[in-house]
Amino acid sequence: MSERLTMEELAALMKTAGITVDPTELASRPDSQFDDYGLDSLGLLGIVGELENRRGRALPSNADRCKSPGEFLDLVNSSLMTGA
Amino acid sequence: MNSRSGRTRGAGTPGRTVVTGMGIVAPNGIGAEAFWKATESGDSVLARVTRQGCEHLPLRVAGEVRDFDPGTLVEERFLVQTDRFSHYALAAADMALEDARLGRADYEDDPYSVGVVTAAGSGGGEFGQRELQRLWGQGPRYVGPYQSIAWFYAASTGQVSIRRGFKGPCGVVCGDEAGGLDAFAHAARAIRQGSRAMLAGATEAPLAPYSVVCQLGYEGLSTAEDPERAYRPFTDKACGFVPAEGGAMFVVEDEAAAGRRGATVRAVLAGHAATFTGPGRWEESAEGLAHAIRGALREADCAPEEIDVVFADAFGSPEADAAEARAISEALGSHGSKVPVTAPKTGTGRAYCAAATLDVAAAVLALEHGVVPPTPNVFEVCHDLDVVTGDARACGPRTALVLSRGQMGSNSALVIRKGSDSPA
Repeated sequence: MSERLTMEELAALMKTAGITVDPTELASRPDSQFDDYGLDSLGLLGIVGELENRRGRALPSNADRCKSPGEFLDLVNSSLMTGA
Repeated sequence: MNSRSGRTRGAGTPGRTVVTGMGIVAPNGIGAEAFWKATESGDSVLARVTRQGCEHLPLRVAGEVRDFDPGTLVEERFLVQTDRFSHYALAAADMALEDARLGRADYEDDPYSVGVVTAAGSGGGEFGQRELQRLWGQGPRYVGPYQSIAWFYAASTGQVSIRRGFKGPCGVVCGDEAGGLDAFAHAARAIRQGSRAMLAGATEAPLAPYSVVCQLGYEGLSTAEDPERAYRPFTDKACGFVPAEGGAMFVVEDEAAAGRRGATVRAVLAGHAATFTGPGRWEESAEGLAHAIRGALREADCAPEEIDVVFADAFGSPEADAAEARAISEALGSHGSKVPVTAPKTGTGRAYCAAATLDVAAAVLALEHGVVPPTPNVFEVCHDLDVVTGDARACGPRTALVLSRGQMGSNSALVIRKGSDSPA
Protein backbone atom coordinates (compact mmCIF):
# COMPACT_ATOMS: atom_id res chain seq x y z
CA MET A 1 0.00 0.00 0.00
CA SER A 2 1.54 3.30 -1.09
CA GLU A 3 0.91 6.80 0.02
CA ARG A 4 -1.40 8.76 -2.28
CA LEU A 5 -0.02 11.61 -4.34
CA THR A 6 -1.39 14.97 -3.19
CA MET A 7 -1.45 18.33 -4.88
CA GLU A 8 1.03 19.50 -2.21
CA GLU A 9 3.52 16.82 -3.20
CA LEU A 10 2.94 17.46 -6.91
CA ALA A 11 3.62 21.16 -6.39
CA ALA A 12 6.86 20.28 -4.58
CA LEU A 13 7.83 17.95 -7.43
CA MET A 14 7.10 20.67 -9.99
CA LYS A 15 9.40 22.94 -8.02
CA THR A 16 12.28 20.55 -8.77
CA ALA A 17 11.51 21.13 -12.44
CA GLY A 18 11.84 24.85 -11.85
CA ILE A 19 8.10 25.54 -11.76
CA THR A 20 6.81 27.40 -8.73
CA VAL A 21 3.08 26.87 -8.25
CA ASP A 22 0.74 27.17 -5.28
CA PRO A 23 -0.78 23.74 -4.37
CA THR A 24 -4.15 25.36 -3.67
CA GLU A 25 -4.13 26.74 -7.22
CA LEU A 26 -3.34 23.28 -8.57
CA ALA A 27 -6.20 21.84 -6.49
CA SER A 28 -8.69 24.53 -7.51
CA ARG A 29 -7.88 24.15 -11.22
CA PRO A 30 -7.05 20.45 -11.67
CA ASP A 31 -7.81 20.60 -15.40
CA SER A 32 -5.42 23.43 -16.20
CA GLN A 33 -2.66 22.25 -18.51
CA PHE A 34 0.90 21.46 -17.43
CA ASP A 35 1.92 23.46 -20.52
CA ASP A 36 0.31 26.55 -19.05
CA TYR A 37 2.53 26.27 -15.99
CA GLY A 38 5.57 25.94 -18.24
CA LEU A 39 6.14 22.27 -17.44
CA ASP A 40 7.30 20.45 -20.57
CA SER A 41 7.28 16.73 -21.33
CA LEU A 42 10.81 16.18 -20.05
CA GLY A 43 9.88 17.96 -16.84
CA LEU A 44 6.94 15.62 -16.31
CA LEU A 45 9.14 12.64 -17.15
CA GLY A 46 11.51 13.74 -14.39
CA ILE A 47 8.60 14.02 -11.94
CA VAL A 48 7.43 10.51 -12.84
CA GLY A 49 10.97 9.18 -12.25
CA GLU A 50 11.25 10.90 -8.90
CA LEU A 51 7.83 9.59 -7.83
CA GLU A 52 8.76 6.05 -8.84
CA ASN A 53 11.90 6.31 -6.73
CA ARG A 54 9.96 7.68 -3.76
CA ARG A 55 7.26 5.02 -3.91
CA GLY A 56 9.62 2.24 -4.88
CA ARG A 57 7.42 1.05 -7.72
CA ALA A 58 6.77 1.67 -11.40
CA LEU A 59 3.99 3.94 -12.58
CA PRO A 60 1.96 3.32 -15.74
CA SER A 61 3.98 3.92 -18.88
CA ASN A 62 1.60 6.66 -20.02
CA ALA A 63 2.02 8.69 -16.81
CA ASP A 64 4.39 11.14 -18.43
CA ARG A 65 1.87 11.89 -21.16
CA CYS A 66 -0.76 13.34 -18.82
CA LYS A 67 -1.78 16.86 -19.76
CA SER A 68 -3.12 18.20 -16.47
CA PRO A 69 -2.50 17.87 -12.71
CA GLY A 70 -5.96 16.32 -12.23
CA GLU A 71 -5.39 13.69 -14.90
CA PHE A 72 -1.96 12.92 -13.46
CA LEU A 73 -3.22 12.54 -9.89
CA ASP A 74 -6.07 10.26 -11.00
CA LEU A 75 -3.78 8.03 -13.00
CA VAL A 76 -1.03 7.85 -10.39
CA ASN A 77 -3.35 7.29 -7.44
CA SER A 78 -5.47 4.65 -9.12
CA SER A 79 -2.25 2.85 -9.99
CA LEU A 80 -0.88 3.17 -6.47
CA MET A 81 -4.14 2.02 -4.89
CA THR A 82 -4.69 -0.98 -7.11
CA GLY A 83 -1.05 -1.92 -7.01
CA ALA A 84 -1.07 -2.29 -10.78
CA MET B 1 22.21 56.24 -36.28
CA ASN B 2 19.54 54.49 -38.29
CA SER B 3 20.30 56.71 -41.24
CA ARG B 4 23.88 55.53 -41.44
CA SER B 5 23.26 52.95 -44.10
CA GLY B 6 21.26 55.54 -45.99
CA ARG B 7 24.11 58.00 -45.70
CA THR B 8 26.74 55.68 -47.07
CA ARG B 9 25.02 53.24 -49.34
CA GLY B 10 21.53 54.34 -50.20
CA ALA B 11 19.14 51.90 -48.61
CA GLY B 12 21.95 49.74 -47.34
CA THR B 13 23.83 47.02 -49.11
CA PRO B 14 22.01 43.72 -49.18
CA GLY B 15 24.39 41.01 -48.14
CA ARG B 16 26.46 43.12 -45.78
CA THR B 17 26.19 41.50 -42.40
CA VAL B 18 26.31 43.74 -39.39
CA VAL B 19 26.45 43.45 -35.60
CA THR B 20 23.61 45.34 -33.92
CA GLY B 21 23.83 43.95 -30.40
CA MET B 22 26.31 42.36 -28.00
CA GLY B 23 25.92 40.53 -24.72
CA ILE B 24 29.00 39.66 -22.71
CA VAL B 25 29.62 37.42 -19.72
CA ALA B 26 33.36 37.53 -19.14
CA PRO B 27 35.73 36.87 -16.25
CA ASN B 28 36.57 40.59 -16.23
CA GLY B 29 33.03 41.90 -16.48
CA ILE B 30 29.40 41.19 -17.19
CA GLY B 31 27.93 43.48 -19.82
CA ALA B 32 29.78 45.43 -22.51
CA GLU B 33 30.50 48.43 -20.32
CA ALA B 34 32.22 46.55 -17.49
CA PHE B 35 34.02 44.30 -19.96
CA TRP B 36 35.40 47.21 -21.96
CA LYS B 37 36.48 49.16 -18.89
CA ALA B 38 38.54 46.22 -17.64
CA THR B 39 39.78 45.31 -21.12
CA GLU B 40 40.89 48.84 -21.99
CA SER B 41 42.63 49.19 -18.62
CA GLY B 42 44.47 45.94 -19.15
CA ASP B 43 43.28 44.53 -15.82
CA SER B 44 44.17 40.90 -15.32
CA VAL B 45 41.63 38.83 -13.44
CA LEU B 46 43.49 35.55 -13.70
CA ALA B 47 43.55 33.98 -10.26
CA ARG B 48 43.78 30.72 -8.39
CA VAL B 49 41.03 28.28 -9.24
CA THR B 50 38.31 28.35 -6.59
CA ARG B 51 35.57 26.29 -8.22
CA GLN B 52 34.36 23.52 -5.92
CA GLY B 53 35.97 20.18 -6.60
CA CYS B 54 38.81 21.68 -8.61
CA GLU B 55 41.03 22.89 -5.79
CA HIS B 56 43.16 19.75 -5.60
CA LEU B 57 43.71 19.42 -9.37
CA PRO B 58 47.01 20.42 -10.96
CA LEU B 59 45.39 23.34 -12.82
CA ARG B 60 46.19 26.28 -10.55
CA VAL B 61 45.15 29.41 -12.44
CA ALA B 62 42.05 30.18 -14.49
CA GLY B 63 39.73 32.96 -15.54
CA GLU B 64 36.56 32.37 -13.55
CA VAL B 65 33.35 34.34 -14.05
CA ARG B 66 32.43 35.75 -10.67
CA ASP B 67 29.41 37.69 -9.46
CA PHE B 68 27.17 36.01 -12.01
CA ASP B 69 23.80 35.21 -10.48
CA PRO B 70 21.76 33.31 -13.05
CA GLY B 71 18.70 33.29 -10.78
CA THR B 72 18.27 37.02 -11.28
CA LEU B 73 18.62 36.78 -15.06
CA VAL B 74 16.98 33.56 -16.26
CA GLU B 75 13.77 31.78 -15.26
CA GLU B 76 14.19 28.85 -12.87
CA ARG B 77 12.70 26.31 -15.26
CA PHE B 78 15.41 27.10 -17.83
CA LEU B 79 18.13 26.99 -15.18
CA VAL B 80 17.24 23.51 -13.90
CA GLN B 81 17.34 22.17 -17.46
CA THR B 82 20.75 23.59 -18.32
CA ASP B 83 24.43 23.70 -17.48
CA ARG B 84 26.36 26.79 -16.52
CA PHE B 85 27.56 27.24 -20.13
CA SER B 86 23.95 27.63 -21.24
CA HIS B 87 23.21 29.98 -18.34
CA TYR B 88 25.93 32.25 -19.74
CA ALA B 89 24.46 31.94 -23.24
CA LEU B 90 20.90 32.69 -22.12
CA ALA B 91 22.01 35.75 -20.16
CA ALA B 92 24.31 36.97 -22.95
CA ALA B 93 21.57 36.49 -25.55
CA ASP B 94 19.22 38.63 -23.46
CA MET B 95 21.79 41.39 -23.27
CA ALA B 96 22.48 41.20 -26.99
CA LEU B 97 18.79 41.38 -27.90
CA GLU B 98 18.27 44.28 -25.56
CA ASP B 99 21.30 46.06 -26.98
CA ALA B 100 19.96 45.51 -30.51
CA ARG B 101 16.45 46.45 -29.39
CA LEU B 102 15.23 43.33 -31.11
CA GLY B 103 12.05 42.27 -29.34
CA ARG B 104 9.24 39.82 -29.95
CA ALA B 105 7.26 42.50 -31.76
CA ASP B 106 10.01 42.56 -34.40
CA TYR B 107 9.67 38.90 -35.32
CA GLU B 108 6.42 37.48 -33.98
CA ASP B 109 4.89 37.87 -37.44
CA ASP B 110 7.66 35.68 -38.81
CA PRO B 111 9.48 33.67 -36.13
CA TYR B 112 11.17 31.65 -38.90
CA SER B 113 13.18 34.72 -39.85
CA VAL B 114 15.39 34.61 -36.74
CA GLY B 115 17.80 31.79 -35.91
CA VAL B 116 20.57 30.92 -33.47
CA VAL B 117 24.07 29.59 -34.02
CA THR B 118 26.59 28.96 -31.28
CA ALA B 119 29.95 27.27 -31.13
CA ALA B 120 30.86 24.91 -28.32
CA GLY B 121 33.87 22.87 -27.40
CA SER B 122 33.40 21.95 -23.77
CA GLY B 123 29.66 21.37 -23.34
CA GLY B 124 27.83 21.03 -20.06
CA GLY B 125 30.51 19.27 -18.06
CA GLU B 126 29.31 20.27 -14.62
CA PHE B 127 25.72 19.16 -15.26
CA GLY B 128 26.89 15.97 -16.96
CA GLN B 129 29.21 15.07 -14.12
CA ARG B 130 26.45 15.48 -11.53
CA GLU B 131 24.12 13.17 -13.44
CA LEU B 132 26.85 10.60 -14.13
CA GLN B 133 27.67 10.55 -10.43
CA ARG B 134 24.02 9.75 -9.77
CA LEU B 135 24.20 7.01 -12.39
CA TRP B 136 27.04 5.13 -10.71
CA GLY B 137 26.19 6.26 -7.19
CA GLN B 138 22.45 5.51 -7.11
CA GLY B 139 21.57 3.91 -10.42
CA PRO B 140 20.01 4.83 -13.77
CA ARG B 141 16.63 5.63 -12.21
CA TYR B 142 18.21 8.63 -10.50
CA VAL B 143 19.48 10.30 -13.67
CA GLY B 144 17.28 13.28 -14.52
CA PRO B 145 15.71 13.62 -17.97
CA TYR B 146 17.53 16.86 -18.77
CA GLN B 147 20.78 14.94 -18.96
CA SER B 148 19.47 14.04 -22.41
CA ILE B 149 20.01 17.63 -23.55
CA ALA B 150 21.95 19.73 -21.02
CA TRP B 151 25.49 18.52 -21.53
CA PHE B 152 25.45 18.47 -25.33
CA TYR B 153 27.11 21.15 -27.42
CA ALA B 154 23.77 22.10 -28.96
CA ALA B 155 22.08 22.85 -25.62
CA SER B 156 22.66 26.59 -25.65
CA THR B 157 21.41 27.09 -29.19
CA GLY B 158 18.33 25.02 -28.42
CA GLN B 159 17.45 26.76 -25.17
CA VAL B 160 18.00 30.27 -26.54
CA SER B 161 15.76 29.52 -29.50
CA ILE B 162 13.04 27.88 -27.37
CA ARG B 163 13.04 30.63 -24.75
CA ARG B 164 12.81 33.40 -27.33
CA GLY B 165 10.62 31.65 -29.87
CA PHE B 166 13.17 31.76 -32.69
CA LYS B 167 12.25 29.20 -35.33
CA GLY B 168 14.75 30.15 -38.03
CA PRO B 169 17.95 28.28 -38.93
CA CYS B 170 19.55 26.93 -35.77
CA GLY B 171 22.88 25.20 -35.47
CA VAL B 172 25.95 24.58 -33.42
CA VAL B 173 29.49 24.75 -34.73
CA CYS B 174 31.68 22.02 -33.31
CA GLY B 175 34.77 23.30 -35.04
CA ASP B 176 37.38 23.34 -32.38
CA GLU B 177 38.23 26.62 -30.65
CA ALA B 178 38.19 28.48 -33.96
CA GLY B 179 34.51 27.57 -34.22
CA GLY B 180 33.90 30.73 -32.20
CA LEU B 181 34.72 32.72 -35.34
CA ASP B 182 33.11 30.25 -37.72
CA ALA B 183 29.78 30.79 -35.92
CA PHE B 184 29.75 34.32 -37.36
CA ALA B 185 30.29 32.95 -40.84
CA HIS B 186 27.39 30.54 -40.36
CA ALA B 187 25.21 33.41 -39.18
CA ALA B 188 26.23 35.50 -42.19
CA ARG B 189 25.36 32.63 -44.50
CA ALA B 190 21.93 32.23 -42.90
CA ILE B 191 21.37 35.96 -43.44
CA ARG B 192 22.41 35.71 -47.10
CA GLN B 193 19.92 32.87 -47.43
CA GLY B 194 17.12 35.09 -46.20
CA SER B 195 17.09 35.17 -42.41
CA ARG B 196 16.36 38.58 -40.96
CA ALA B 197 18.52 38.22 -37.87
CA MET B 198 20.69 35.63 -36.14
CA LEU B 199 21.86 35.23 -32.58
CA ALA B 200 25.49 34.14 -32.89
CA GLY B 201 28.30 33.51 -30.48
CA ALA B 202 29.68 31.07 -27.96
CA THR B 203 29.90 30.52 -24.24
CA GLU B 204 31.87 27.91 -22.34
CA ALA B 205 32.03 26.68 -18.75
CA PRO B 206 34.99 24.29 -18.60
CA LEU B 207 35.88 25.02 -14.98
CA ALA B 208 34.29 22.02 -13.31
CA PRO B 209 36.14 18.92 -12.04
CA TYR B 210 35.32 16.55 -14.91
CA SER B 211 36.01 19.20 -17.51
CA VAL B 212 39.27 20.25 -15.90
CA VAL B 213 40.48 16.65 -15.76
CA CYS B 214 39.73 16.38 -19.50
CA GLN B 215 41.92 19.42 -20.12
CA LEU B 216 44.87 18.15 -18.08
CA GLY B 217 45.95 16.14 -21.10
CA TYR B 218 46.32 19.26 -23.24
CA GLU B 219 49.97 19.93 -23.93
CA GLY B 220 49.31 23.65 -24.09
CA LEU B 221 47.56 23.93 -20.72
CA SER B 222 49.48 26.12 -18.31
CA THR B 223 49.74 24.64 -14.84
CA ALA B 224 51.85 27.52 -13.53
CA GLU B 225 51.10 28.73 -10.01
CA ASP B 226 51.49 32.46 -10.37
CA PRO B 227 48.56 34.24 -12.06
CA GLU B 228 50.87 36.93 -13.42
CA ARG B 229 53.18 34.42 -15.04
CA ALA B 230 50.84 31.66 -16.09
CA TYR B 231 49.82 32.99 -19.53
CA ARG B 232 52.42 35.07 -21.36
CA PRO B 233 52.21 34.40 -25.11
CA PHE B 234 54.76 35.91 -27.51
CA THR B 235 57.41 36.06 -24.77
CA ASP B 236 60.30 33.71 -24.06
CA LYS B 237 58.48 32.87 -20.83
CA ALA B 238 55.48 31.42 -22.71
CA CYS B 239 54.35 28.30 -20.84
CA GLY B 240 50.93 27.58 -22.28
CA PHE B 241 47.47 29.07 -21.90
CA VAL B 242 45.19 29.59 -18.93
CA PRO B 243 41.62 28.34 -19.45
CA ALA B 244 38.60 30.49 -18.82
CA GLU B 245 34.82 30.50 -18.92
CA GLY B 246 32.12 32.88 -20.11
CA GLY B 247 31.58 34.20 -23.61
CA ALA B 248 29.50 36.49 -25.74
CA MET B 249 26.40 36.47 -27.94
CA PHE B 250 25.68 38.85 -30.79
CA VAL B 251 22.72 39.96 -32.82
CA VAL B 252 23.78 39.76 -36.45
CA GLU B 253 21.57 41.19 -39.18
CA ASP B 254 21.44 42.08 -42.80
CA GLU B 255 22.42 45.72 -42.97
CA ALA B 256 19.35 46.79 -44.92
CA ALA B 257 17.01 44.92 -42.56
CA ALA B 258 18.72 46.52 -39.58
CA GLY B 259 18.32 49.91 -41.22
CA ARG B 260 14.63 49.36 -41.85
CA ARG B 261 13.92 48.78 -38.17
CA GLY B 262 16.16 51.64 -37.11
CA ALA B 263 18.83 49.55 -35.44
CA THR B 264 22.27 50.90 -34.65
CA VAL B 265 25.07 49.21 -36.60
CA ARG B 266 27.89 48.50 -34.17
CA ALA B 267 30.22 46.80 -36.66
CA VAL B 268 30.33 45.13 -40.05
CA LEU B 269 31.34 41.49 -40.37
CA ALA B 270 33.31 41.98 -43.55
CA GLY B 271 35.10 38.71 -44.28
CA HIS B 272 35.86 35.26 -42.91
CA ALA B 273 37.81 32.19 -43.91
CA ALA B 274 38.86 28.97 -42.20
CA THR B 275 41.39 26.21 -42.82
CA PHE B 276 42.37 22.95 -41.16
CA THR B 277 45.94 21.78 -40.67
CA GLY B 278 45.69 18.90 -38.21
CA PRO B 279 45.84 18.44 -34.43
CA GLY B 280 48.80 19.99 -32.67
CA ARG B 281 50.68 20.70 -35.92
CA TRP B 282 51.58 24.26 -35.07
CA GLU B 283 54.31 24.40 -37.70
CA GLU B 284 51.70 23.76 -40.38
CA SER B 285 49.16 26.07 -38.75
CA ALA B 286 51.34 28.99 -39.89
CA GLU B 287 50.51 28.43 -43.54
CA GLY B 288 46.94 27.42 -42.68
CA LEU B 289 46.30 30.56 -40.67
CA ALA B 290 47.97 32.74 -43.31
CA HIS B 291 45.68 31.17 -45.91
CA ALA B 292 42.64 31.89 -43.71
CA ILE B 293 43.75 35.52 -43.28
CA ARG B 294 44.14 35.95 -47.04
CA GLY B 295 40.70 34.45 -47.57
CA ALA B 296 39.08 36.73 -45.03
CA LEU B 297 40.78 39.79 -46.54
CA ARG B 298 39.62 38.76 -50.00
CA GLU B 299 36.02 38.38 -48.91
CA ALA B 300 36.22 41.72 -47.13
CA ASP B 301 37.80 43.33 -50.20
CA CYS B 302 40.43 44.55 -47.77
CA ALA B 303 44.12 45.25 -48.45
CA PRO B 304 46.60 44.07 -45.80
CA GLU B 305 47.53 47.69 -45.07
CA GLU B 306 43.92 48.46 -44.13
CA ILE B 307 44.13 46.22 -41.08
CA ASP B 308 44.56 48.57 -38.12
CA VAL B 309 44.69 46.00 -35.34
CA VAL B 310 45.08 42.24 -35.01
CA PHE B 311 43.42 40.37 -32.16
CA ALA B 312 45.77 37.44 -31.92
CA ASP B 313 44.93 33.87 -31.08
CA ALA B 314 47.86 33.94 -28.62
CA PHE B 315 47.94 30.27 -27.79
CA GLY B 316 50.89 30.72 -25.47
CA SER B 317 53.30 27.95 -26.40
CA PRO B 318 56.56 28.96 -28.12
CA GLU B 319 55.85 26.88 -31.20
CA ALA B 320 52.25 28.06 -31.61
CA ASP B 321 53.18 31.70 -31.03
CA ALA B 322 55.98 31.49 -33.61
CA ALA B 323 53.53 30.00 -36.10
CA GLU B 324 51.03 32.78 -35.52
CA ALA B 325 53.69 35.46 -35.90
CA ARG B 326 54.77 33.81 -39.15
CA ALA B 327 51.17 33.65 -40.40
CA ILE B 328 50.64 37.36 -39.73
CA SER B 329 53.89 38.17 -41.50
CA GLU B 330 53.12 35.94 -44.48
CA ALA B 331 49.57 37.21 -44.94
CA LEU B 332 50.10 40.90 -44.24
CA GLY B 333 53.60 41.25 -45.68
CA SER B 334 55.67 44.14 -44.36
CA HIS B 335 52.55 45.50 -42.65
CA GLY B 336 52.64 42.44 -40.38
CA SER B 337 55.45 43.78 -38.23
CA LYS B 338 53.92 47.28 -38.04
CA VAL B 339 50.26 46.64 -37.29
CA PRO B 340 49.32 46.75 -33.59
CA VAL B 341 48.70 43.23 -32.28
CA THR B 342 46.82 42.62 -29.07
CA ALA B 343 45.62 39.68 -27.00
CA PRO B 344 43.35 40.92 -24.20
CA LYS B 345 42.67 37.27 -23.33
CA THR B 346 45.96 37.18 -21.41
CA GLY B 347 44.04 39.03 -18.70
CA THR B 348 40.96 36.82 -18.72
CA GLY B 349 42.15 33.43 -19.93
CA ARG B 350 41.29 31.43 -22.98
CA ALA B 351 37.67 30.34 -22.95
CA TYR B 352 38.03 27.82 -25.79
CA CYS B 353 35.35 28.58 -28.44
CA ALA B 354 34.20 31.56 -26.45
CA ALA B 355 37.68 33.15 -26.47
CA ALA B 356 37.23 34.23 -30.07
CA THR B 357 33.77 35.67 -29.39
CA LEU B 358 35.17 37.74 -26.53
CA ASP B 359 37.86 38.91 -28.94
CA VAL B 360 35.17 39.90 -31.43
CA ALA B 361 33.42 41.83 -28.65
CA ALA B 362 36.68 43.54 -27.73
CA ALA B 363 37.33 44.31 -31.40
CA VAL B 364 33.90 45.90 -31.89
CA LEU B 365 34.43 48.01 -28.76
CA ALA B 366 37.98 48.91 -29.83
CA LEU B 367 36.68 50.17 -33.20
CA GLU B 368 33.91 52.13 -31.51
CA HIS B 369 36.27 53.75 -29.02
CA GLY B 370 39.21 54.16 -31.39
CA VAL B 371 41.47 52.42 -28.90
CA VAL B 372 43.47 49.19 -29.01
CA PRO B 373 43.36 47.49 -25.60
CA PRO B 374 46.60 46.05 -24.21
CA THR B 375 47.86 42.53 -23.57
CA PRO B 376 48.03 42.08 -19.78
CA ASN B 377 50.99 40.30 -18.18
CA VAL B 378 52.98 40.41 -21.44
CA PHE B 379 56.04 42.65 -21.53
CA GLU B 380 59.09 41.49 -23.47
CA VAL B 381 57.90 40.22 -26.84
CA CYS B 382 60.27 37.87 -28.62
CA HIS B 383 58.67 37.92 -32.08
CA ASP B 384 58.68 40.49 -34.87
CA LEU B 385 55.27 41.82 -33.90
CA ASP B 386 54.13 45.14 -32.47
CA VAL B 387 52.29 43.69 -29.50
CA VAL B 388 50.41 46.34 -27.53
CA THR B 389 51.62 45.96 -23.95
CA GLY B 390 51.16 48.10 -20.87
CA ASP B 391 48.65 50.80 -21.78
CA ALA B 392 45.92 50.90 -24.39
CA ARG B 393 46.83 52.65 -27.61
CA ALA B 394 44.52 55.34 -28.98
CA CYS B 395 45.33 54.89 -32.66
CA GLY B 396 41.82 55.12 -34.07
CA PRO B 397 41.45 51.66 -35.61
CA ARG B 398 38.75 51.27 -38.27
CA THR B 399 39.34 47.69 -39.37
CA ALA B 400 40.22 44.73 -37.13
CA LEU B 401 41.44 41.23 -37.90
CA VAL B 402 40.50 38.57 -35.32
CA LEU B 403 42.40 35.28 -35.36
CA SER B 404 41.61 31.97 -33.73
CA ARG B 405 43.13 28.50 -33.82
CA GLY B 406 42.16 25.28 -32.17
CA GLN B 407 44.34 22.61 -30.66
CA MET B 408 42.72 20.16 -33.04
CA GLY B 409 43.95 22.06 -36.09
CA SER B 410 41.35 24.63 -37.09
CA ASN B 411 42.49 28.11 -38.14
CA SER B 412 40.07 30.99 -38.69
CA ALA B 413 40.20 34.68 -39.47
CA LEU B 414 37.49 37.33 -39.34
CA VAL B 415 37.71 40.90 -40.65
CA ILE B 416 35.52 43.43 -38.83
CA ARG B 417 34.93 47.00 -39.99
CA LYS B 418 33.88 49.91 -37.87
CA GLY B 419 30.14 50.38 -37.95
CA SER B 420 29.73 54.02 -37.04
CA ASP B 421 31.73 57.18 -36.75
CA SER B 422 31.22 57.64 -33.04
CA PRO B 423 30.91 55.38 -30.00
CA ALA B 424 27.42 54.02 -29.57
